[in-house]
Amino acid sequence: MQKVCLTVNGREVSAEIDERTLLLEFVRDVAGLTGTHNGCLEARCGCCAIEVDGDVVKSCNVLAVQVDGAEVTTIEGLAPQRLAPVDHITTQSLAGMYRPLEAVRGTPEDLHPVQSAFHRCHAVQCGFCTPGMVMVLKDYLEENPEPTRDDVRRAIAGNLCRCTGYQHIVDAAMEAAAEMRGDPVPEGAAHAMTAAVDGG
Amino acid sequence: MTEAPAHPTGTAPRLVGTSVPRKEDLALLTGTARFVDDLRLPGMVHARILRSDVAHARVRSIDTSPALEAPGVLDALAGAELVGKVKPWGDLMQDLLVGDHFPFATDKVLYQGQELAAVVAETRYQAWDGCEAVRVDLEELPAIVDPEEALAPDAPLIQEQIVYEFGEGNVFDRYKIRVGDFAAAEAGAAVVVRQRFATNKQAGAALDPHGCVADYDSFTGVLTLYSSTQSIYMVRDVLADVLQIPRTKIRVIVPAVGAGFGSKAQIFGHEVIAALFSMRLGRPVKLTLSRADVFRAGTTRNAQVRYAELAMAADGEIIGYRDYIVHNTGAMSVWGNQVVHIGTNVGMLPYAIPNIHVDSDIVHTTTAPGGPLRGFGIPQTIWAKEQLVDMAARELGLDPLAVRERNVIDPDEFPYRTPMGHVIDSTSIKQCLLASADAIGWDAPRAPHEGKGLAVSMKYTSARHPSLDTDLSAVRLRLETDGTVTVYSSDVSHGQSHATMLAQIVADGIGVGIEKITLAPPDSMTAPFGLGTYASRGAAVLGTACRLATERLRDKILAIAAHVLEVGPEDLDTGRDRVFVKGLPDSGIYLEIIAATAAYRTHQLPPGFEPTLETVATYDTPTEREGSDGSGNLSVTYSGAAHAAHVRVDPDTGRVTVVDYAMVHDTGTVINPLVVEGQHHGGFAMGLGMALSEDYVYDAQGRQLNASFKDYLAVTAPDVPELTKTAEIPAPSTMIPGGQKGAGESGTGPVPAAIGNAVFDATGVRFTVLPITPQRMLVALREKERQGVETLRYPDDMPDFTGPRRHDDWPAPVSADADLDFDFDWEDD
Repeated sequence: MQKVCLTVNGREVSAEIDERTLLLEFVRDVAGLTGTHNGCLEARCGCCAIEVDGDVVKSCNVLAVQVDGAEVTTIEGLAPQRLAPVDHITTQSLAGMYRPLEAVRGTPEDLHPVQSAFHRCHAVQCGFCTPGMVMVLKDYLEENPEPTRDDVRRAIAGNLCRCTGYQHIVDAAMEAAAEMRGDPVPEGAAHAMTAAVDGG
Repeated sequence: MTEAPAHPTGTAPRLVGTSVPRKEDLALLTGTARFVDDLRLPGMVHARILRSDVAHARVRSIDTSPALEAPGVLDALAGAELVGKVKPWGDLMQDLLVGDHFPFATDKVLYQGQELAAVVAETRYQAWDGCEAVRVDLEELPAIVDPEEALAPDAPLIQEQIVYEFGEGNVFDRYKIRVGDFAAAEAGAAVVVRQRFATNKQAGAALDPHGCVADYDSFTGVLTLYSSTQSIYMVRDVLADVLQIPRTKIRVIVPAVGAGFGSKAQIFGHEVIAALFSMRLGRPVKLTLSRADVFRAGTTRNAQVRYAELAMAADGEIIGYRDYIVHNTGAMSVWGNQVVHIGTNVGMLPYAIPNIHVDSDIVHTTTAPGGPLRGFGIPQTIWAKEQLVDMAARELGLDPLAVRERNVIDPDEFPYRTPMGHVIDSTSIKQCLLASADAIGWDAPRAPHEGKGLAVSMKYTSARHPSLDTDLSAVRLRLETDGTVTVYSSDVSHGQSHATMLAQIVADGIGVGIEKITLAPPDSMTAPFGLGTYASRGAAVLGTACRLATERLRDKILAIAAHVLEVGPEDLDTGRDRVFVKGLPDSGIYLEIIAATAAYRTHQLPPGFEPTLETVATYDTPTEREGSDGSGNLSVTYSGAAHAAHVRVDPDTGRVTVVDYAMVHDTGTVINPLVVEGQHHGGFAMGLGMALSEDYVYDAQGRQLNASFKDYLAVTAPDVPELTKTAEIPAPSTMIPGGQKGAGESGTGPVPAAIGNAVFDATGVRFTVLPITPQRMLVALREKERQGVETLRYPDDMPDFTGPRRHDDWPAPVSADADLDFDFDWEDD
C-alpha cells in the first residue's frame, strides 16, 4: 500500500492504495468520479481519457503512484453540475426545473463548447465513449484551433465509438472548433437530413 | 388495424419528424450517467471469473479450496457443486428449450473463455489473486474451428450430453426453404452463377463491457440485479428459472447501457454467478467482464459458409436462388439458429424470387458462442446473394444497376406478397437504388484501381422469431399531478434515444412540453412486460405501444376537461401544456389542473370516471409464424436500404479505402431524422468492419489470437469515409400506425456486398471471404497476375458445375483456377 495525493478537478484527494491501482481506478473509486469509463483497460478504446497536468492521457495505462501530486481534470470538471436558469416559465414550472432544449449552448457557466456541439450534432448515442472523446477533442482543439475534418479523424483515432460511425462526432468537433475560435455557432440541428414527414 | 392517432397539438409545433436534440445527452456528456460499472452499493464485494484458456477439454478437476485461503477471498464456486442445484438454460430450437448453458463447465470445456470457477473477495485485486490460486486440471481435446470440419463423420463430438431433436453429431439444428421449383428455374435460366462464400465472426464489441451487480436481501428474499442488458424480462424470467425462485423475487434494473448491438440480448453466466454469490453471502456482488472476456465469452456474428447459386433469365430477371449454408453457431448459442432462419428469409428481399431452395446445417464448433449482431443474418445473406447478382449480370453483359432496377420490388399495388411470403406494405427501394447509384456517379469513368459497387437489402422491423411466438412491446404512461408525464417501458434504450423518441410521440399526442416528459429506467418491478430492445423494434413496435397509450391518456384528459369546461370532448384540443376549446389556444385548463383533479378533487370528475391518469397499451405485431417450407411474413414491415460504394485499392499495400459511399434508405416515417441518420452511420460502420477488418482469428487449438482491441481492428474514425450522402426516401408503413419502419440495422445489411462488388470492379478479384484484408488483397492480386487472367475469384474459386448441392459434393476450394469467361464490356478504363 502506498499513499497517493492528486488534485482532481481542483479538489485534493488522497488515499492509501494498492500499488496496482490504475489512475483510472483512483479517479473512479477513490475520487468517486465515474464519468471516466473503463472500456478495455488496454489503452485502446479511449473511454478513460483524462487530463493530467494539462496533457490528455489514457488513465487505464498509468498507475496512480506514477502521477502522485499531479493535477487531474476529468469530464466532471468541464461542466460543474448546476441548476438551469429559469427562462421558460409556465405557471406550473415554478421551481425552474425545466429548460427548453434550445437553451443548451456552450457558455462558460453551462457546457464546454465540445459538449454542447456533441448535443446539437447528435454525436452521442449510447454515450459510453463520450467522456473520453470530449476530453481528447477539448485538448486537441485547444492546441489546433483550425483543424480539417481529416485532422479531427486522426485526432480521435485512439478513441473507439461503435455507435455513431464517427460522422456526427466529426461534425461536432468542427462546430466546437468554430465556437472555440469565436466564430458564430450555427442554429439548431442544422445537419439533419431532410425527411419528408407524413402520417406521424 | 388501429387508426393512427391525430396530432391535435393546437399551436404547439409538432415534434414527430423533427430533429429534437436528445433528452439523454446531458447526463452522458457530463459524466453523471451511471453505467453498471459505476454502481457502488454499501458493503459491495467483487467477483471474478476464472475462464478456460483452452478451447476443448475434459475437466479432470477444479479445486477452489486454495482460493479460499487467499487474503480477502469470501467465497468461491465451480461447476460440480452446482449440478442438481441450479437449472441449465439455453438454446431455443423451434419450440424446444435445450439446456446447454450452465454457469460453469462441469465435465467438458467447449470454448476458450468458458467459465471454470469464480471467486468473490473484498477487493477486485483480491478476487484476481483468488482466481490465480484455483487449481485446474484439464485434459485438452482437439479443437474444431472450421464449421465444415465439424460436419465430418469422424469429427470429435462437441456437445456430448445433449440429444438434439432436429440434428445429430455436431449438427445442432437444420433449416430449409422450399419455395417454387428451383430445378425448373435452373433449367430455364440463361445463366446460373455459383460460388462458395464465407463470412466472418464479428464482435459487437460494445464499449461498455457486460457486467452486473447482484444484491440479495436475505430477509425479504428479493434478489435485485443491476445488469447491462438489452432485455429485463428475458434476464428475469430465465434467472428465476435457473435459480428456481419466483419471478417476483427477482428485480432486474438496468442503468445506462453502453450499447449492445445484439450482444446483450440474452442472459449470461456472469449474471447467474453474481446472483449466486450474493445469495450465499448476503452482500452486493459486482462482476464486470474484462475486454478479453467479452470477446471470448460474449456472443459474435455467426460465421457462415454458403454454397450459393443464382439463376437469371436472359433479360436479367432473377428466377431462382439456391443455397447450402453451414451456419457456425459456436459452442452454444441462445439465438444462433434463429439468425439463419430470419437472416435468410428476409435476406431474399428486395427481390420477389419465385424459386428458392435452401438447406442449412447449423453446427457447433469449439469457438465463441454465436448470436445476434446488428443485421441478424442479413449481411451474411446479402454478401453472397448481391455478389451473385453482379456475377450473373456480367455473364449476361448487363449493367448491375439495370439488373437490380429490373428486379427490386416495385408492385403496382400494396400490400404485395412475395413468393417467400413477405407482405410488403410499402417500399421505395427502387427509388433508393437509383438515388444511391446516382449519388456516387455510377456511370462516370473509373480511375485506375478504383471501382464502384451496389447492393440492396431490406431489413425486418422487429420479427416473430421462429422460437418465440410473440413480438410484443408495452408502454405505461402516467400524467403526474404537476402536469409532467412519466413513461414506463421495459425496452432498454442503449443508444436508440428512447427517452427522446417516446417523448416526441407523447408531446404531440397530449400537447405537453417535451421537457416535462421523463422515461423511467427499465425496472421489472414497475415496467409493463415487453420483449426488450433488439431487432430494430424501438420506433415501430415500442413507438406504436406508446402512441396507443398516449391516445388513451388523451381520451381521459379530454373527458375530464370536457366535464369541467362543460363542452363536448370533440370541441377540445391540446397544446402548450393545456387543454383548450378549439380556436381559443390562449385559454383553457393546464394539464396540471386536470391531473390534480383526478388525484385531489375527485368529486369534480365526470360521473363514473375512474380517478386515474395512468394508461397502458401493448402492441404485438400482426406477423406470421414461419411455415414448414420456410416461408412466412415474419415482420410487420420492411425497411429498405440501397448502398453504393466507391473504393480505391492500393496495389502496393493491398489496402481498400472507401472513398465515397451513398446510403439511401426507406425507414418509413422518421420520428427524429438526426437520430435515424446516426443509426444509419453506425450501421454502416459495423458493416465496414465486417467488410474490411473485423474477425475472430483462431489458432488450430481454438484459441482466439485477437481478443483485444490491440489486434481486433475495430473501425476507427480515419477508416470511415465522409458519410454525407445519407438520405431517406420515406415510404410510410401502412401497417404501423405512425408509419415507422426499423432504423437500427438497415444500415449494415448491404455494406460488405456493396464493397465486395466495388472491389471486383476495381481489381477484377471477386473476394469470397470476409474480411477483405490487405494481406488477402495482396495475395489475390499476385495470384491474378501470376495466372495472367482478367478476373479471379479468391480464395474459393468455384468453377460452374452441375449436380447435387451437398457440401461434400462440391469440388475442393482451390485458388489456382481462374474463371476466364467474364466480360468487362461495361468497364470504362
